[in-house]
Amino acid sequence: MNNQLRVLRAQRRWSQAELAQRLGVSRQTVNAIETGKYDPSLPLAFTIARLFGKRIEEIFDPADGDS
Amino acid sequence: MSERHALLAHRRRYIIEFGASICTYTATVIISSAMVHSHSQANWRYAVAVLPVVPALFALLAVLRQLKRLDELERKIQLQALGFSATATSLLSFTYGFLELAGLPRLSFLWILPLQLVLWGVGVSLTRARYQ
Repeated sequence: MNNQLRVLRAQRRWSQAELAQRLGVSRQTVNAIETGKYDPSLPLAFTIARLFGKRIEEIFDPADGDS
Repeated sequence: MSERHALLAHRRRYIIEFGASICTYTATVIISSAMVHSHSQANWRYAVAVLPVVPALFALLAVLRQLKRLDELERKIQLQALGFSATATSLLSFTYGFLELAGLPRLSFLWILPLQLVLWGVGVSLTRARYQ
């Protein structure tokens, strides 16, 4: 699943560690989501969407990848 | 405390809890085995023989506590690693069981726990690498 997490994080000039802290997950998890190696749970996807003030489908795109 | 510091603190606490439990388990196995062998007719030998179960129980509780502290990806990694170690341990122990029928020396099933722990560590390394 593709996502815009790296772009959104870069726009706010946050490091992966900073974003991880705001989401309450490890930096490894943020990195795995950004590189498309891990798809977050629905609660975490909602937390990410709320943090960036967007809808989930504006951040995550299931069209171009497997899950 | 930052998330990173919290994660490191949790990991450190887990290593201490789990490591102390496993060290105590190992020492208890050695001591209880020696006592049971040297007092093979004593009535208390059954109680002494199962003493290693106590530190093993603490190790189990440490694992369960750590699983609750992990974030969702790390929990998934641990679950996959535990699945790998459980199935690989079953396969290896069954394989050796058949080889015993063919003449290889009998091994104590006490080796199963250390084998499972080693394979769990291997499973964590292999699974974690897939998400890096």
